[in-house]
Amino acid sequence: MAQSEKRYDVIVIGAGHNGLVSAATLAKLGKRVCVLEKENEIGGMARNYEIADGLQAPRIAHLLYNYNPVVARELGLAEKIDKAPISTIALSDDGRHIEIANGALRYADGAEHPDAAAYAEIRRKIEKFGKLLAPLALRSPPDLSEGLSLAGAGEAAAIAKLGLELKMFGKKDMREFLRIVLSNIYDLALDEMPDGEVAGLLAADAVWGAWAGPRSPGTVFLLMYRYAYGADPSLPKRGAGAVVDAIVDVARSRGVEIRTGAAVSRLNIKNDAVTGVVLEGGSEISAKVVMSSLGAFPSMKMAGPQHYDVETVRRLRNVRAKGMTAKVNLVLRQEPKIGGVSLAQIAGRFVIAPSAKYVERAFSKAKYGEFPGAPVIEFVMPMVSDAAQRGRYLLSAIVQYIPYHLKGGWDDAARDRLTALTIDTLSQYIPELRENIAHVDALSPAFIERETGAPGGHWHHGELSTDQLLTVRPVNGMSRYAFGVRGYYLCGAGAHPGGGVSGAAGRNSALQLLKDGVLS
Amino acid sequence: MKLFKSAAKPVAVARELLPTPFFDKLDAVSLVKNWHEWNGYLVADVVEAVGKEYFAIRNQSTLFDISPMCKYRVKGPDALRVMNRLVIRDVAKIGVGRVGYAMWCDEEGMVIDDGTVFRYGDDEFMLLCQEHMFTWLHDCAWGFDVSITDETHNFCGLALQGPTSFSVLKEAGLESVADMKPFDLREIEPGLWISRTGYTGDLGYELFTDSQYAHQLWDRLWGAGHKLWGLIPIGFDALEIARLEVGFLAPGLDFQPVHVVSRINRGRTPFELGFGRLVNFEKGHFNGRRALLKHRDEGSRYHLVRLDIEGKEPAKDAFIYSGRDKVVGHVTSAVWSPTAKRNIALAELEAPYGGKVKNGLWAEIYVYKEGAWQRRQKKAVVVETPFFTNARSRKTPPDLF
Repeated sequence: MAQSEKRYDVIVIGAGHNGLVSAATLAKLGKRVCVLEKENEIGGMARNYEIADGLQAPRIAHLLYNYNPVVARELGLAEKIDKAPISTIALSDDGRHIEIANGALRYADGAEHPDAAAYAEIRRKIEKFGKLLAPLALRSPPDLSEGLSLAGAGEAAAIAKLGLELKMFGKKDMREFLRIVLSNIYDLALDEMPDGEVAGLLAADAVWGAWAGPRSPGTVFLLMYRYAYGADPSLPKRGAGAVVDAIVDVARSRGVEIRTGAAVSRLNIKNDAVTGVVLEGGSEISAKVVMSSLGAFPSMKMAGPQHYDVETVRRLRNVRAKGMTAKVNLVLRQEPKIGGVSLAQIAGRFVIAPSAKYVERAFSKAKYGEFPGAPVIEFVMPMVSDAAQRGRYLLSAIVQYIPYHLKGGWDDAARDRLTALTIDTLSQYIPELRENIAHVDALSPAFIERETGAPGGHWHHGELSTDQLLTVRPVNGMSRYAFGVRGYYLCGAGAHPGGGVSGAAGRNSALQLLKDGVLS
Repeated sequence: MKLFKSAAKPVAVARELLPTPFFDKLDAVSLVKNWHEWNGYLVADVVEAVGKEYFAIRNQSTLFDISPMCKYRVKGPDALRVMNRLVIRDVAKIGVGRVGYAMWCDEEGMVIDDGTVFRYGDDEFMLLCQEHMFTWLHDCAWGFDVSITDETHNFCGLALQGPTSFSVLKEAGLESVADMKPFDLREIEPGLWISRTGYTGDLGYELFTDSQYAHQLWDRLWGAGHKLWGLIPIGFDALEIARLEVGFLAPGLDFQPVHVVSRINRGRTPFELGFGRLVNFEKGHFNGRRALLKHRDEGSRYHLVRLDIEGKEPAKDAFIYSGRDKVVGHVTSAVWSPTAKRNIALAELEAPYGGKVKNGLWAEIYVYKEGAWQRRQKKAVVVETPFFTNARSRKTPPDLF
């Protein structure tokens, strides 16, 4: 029988990093917050897990991009997370790999690369423009539904400020920004350099996680989003899971209660206002506010379509969230060797995208629901230099262009094909890989969807494209986190500004609901 | 006609206007061959003469072909929930075997269309309306367990309206409609549905059957009523006078169905159309509810009102003035009412006119007289009640004549 438990101010559905950031932000202001996680582990896409006896691996995310310093500062995370930028090796078929370290591009053997200057200029632009856009990520999108009003003036001012800053770039950069912001990375790169590993790397960095190829419009914007806080990713010690652990520590120290194995089956709604949730198994927890860090569509289904207007349901049904990214973790018996890569370089990030054309070709297959001939892969071997894991090695690979909507569906055979394809592709650069593998975990987009509640297994919970950004993210009329029923809020990557382990969506949502006064 | 011989759906996309299942019958008695298009079908504006047809509505009985009306059957365990999600009123209060007038809105609370909800069973409804709603109904039903079928093309209907209409039915062997109250719905014979509804404000019924039985139905009523009870077919023009006398709305004239218009601010709320009493905020969420709450609290931007205008020139398309020179609205439908002997109109006025401010209104009427336009300022008075009501329309059992 349903039993009523103690009442909270806020229930957060999903203990991914955004849900946890929401909880910690509200708890700081003395709100009583309970986070409900259906899995037995905390952290969602950003968590670590034990892949083999005593060996920790990043479940999905393995590096930090657009890690938001403002969110980190607000939460007091900065000193808790030990992270360092890492170098990138763009692997080449001929063994003459390219290394980007401390912002400079050269051959991995130290020789100068002819496209280094062109790369530096593109990178400078993208980082600069990304930085310009970054403040938008920390505000609720402006409310344009009521036209211009005094109340909305503050929001319009944020946009005006963006315009002003853009003007202060000077004519040349401003025009350049407007020229490229909606364009594609393929043209941007190949206007400045011949196709090859450098263009391939830029192309790959623009499309990670996206249902887009380098020739797709909007991919330059995606790269700006990724490079907003610097083009070099950072590798936290003990993996991305360490970031989640730090947020959990902060949240718990502020009194947030986190329950695992607590799957919410539906919301309780009375008089068009949220009153709590019902767990699978029937027990009920009441709260004034429920925040969902799931994707927008599953969040709507959790409340029930009957609580939403027909147009809203139609829009939510049509949010594009087709995951393109799989995760493959390999446990290796001995240290892997990559020809042309030094012992120092092996601790870096590796990218298999030998040309922009290679990346586009892989997308061409995947967009029709097929495996690519050769996928684009980013891998790290985070434990190579970790003495605690002596004798055991981990290869964590993000495999791009593995379609959620695979022809024939995702079954065991398809997962085996994913594993084989990944190993085949890696083996071209790591010759003795196959014999070296002790254990494989392959997580398809379909599996990631089931485990994390991200629609389509998409790591942004919905494509980050111009038709699904800002005031129309997740859909028109719902961009300010309030999600239809009074007291129901979206706080995950499906909301503005999107995914990445940044916590911006969770923080913004928490601040917005306080502003909306739904807790008073 | 080929298309309807088998009573099946049209076999191909026709390039011409379609004949309704009753077209042959109407064509045979039409003197003026005055047709127009309604929902892809050929229907009569006038069959013989407007005056004759109008007075038959009020004094005899009339047949009007309503087959082109959009008809959607909503059936299944969630049918009531879907209907309640669609419309602003509480459909649970429409009992089985009853019909209810309804409006439905978009997410901004703007009226998409109005129509009638026929409740065939606990889990079965038919929606009759002017606008195409098939895709909208499917969107509305997403996530619910119902089936939606478009029966516009295989379910035909005749409106039998006028004081002698009960007598006609009795003569046709359908006397058992006697105890049907207004808005009752009944399967009077297998496959023949009758509702005591109509668009004339007079005693009347609407009869529905499968299109293959259209001619049989027509012949049966015609045989029973034409000679004895003055039953004649009518066209749109006569009906337009009758509906205005009662104050029924015509989509496209008195309000703009919001899915059809492309300009912003052309939509109207039920409050603005004078149907605020239909909105049931207590029944749970329905489409546009949150927006309508806001509209209720903020007040109407417009008021659709009945006007009684001095003189006898219909105020068609007239501007409405407050005082001598401030335009505050316009007439949406106007006609000289032969029964009320008044010059009547429906007009949309900008708030507060027609709401708090009802006095001092003038209609600017343009009259064309043999090559010259004249402009006339006529006093317009807001009227709260219909121009035509008659106890016979509601009396059960109805009177015989």
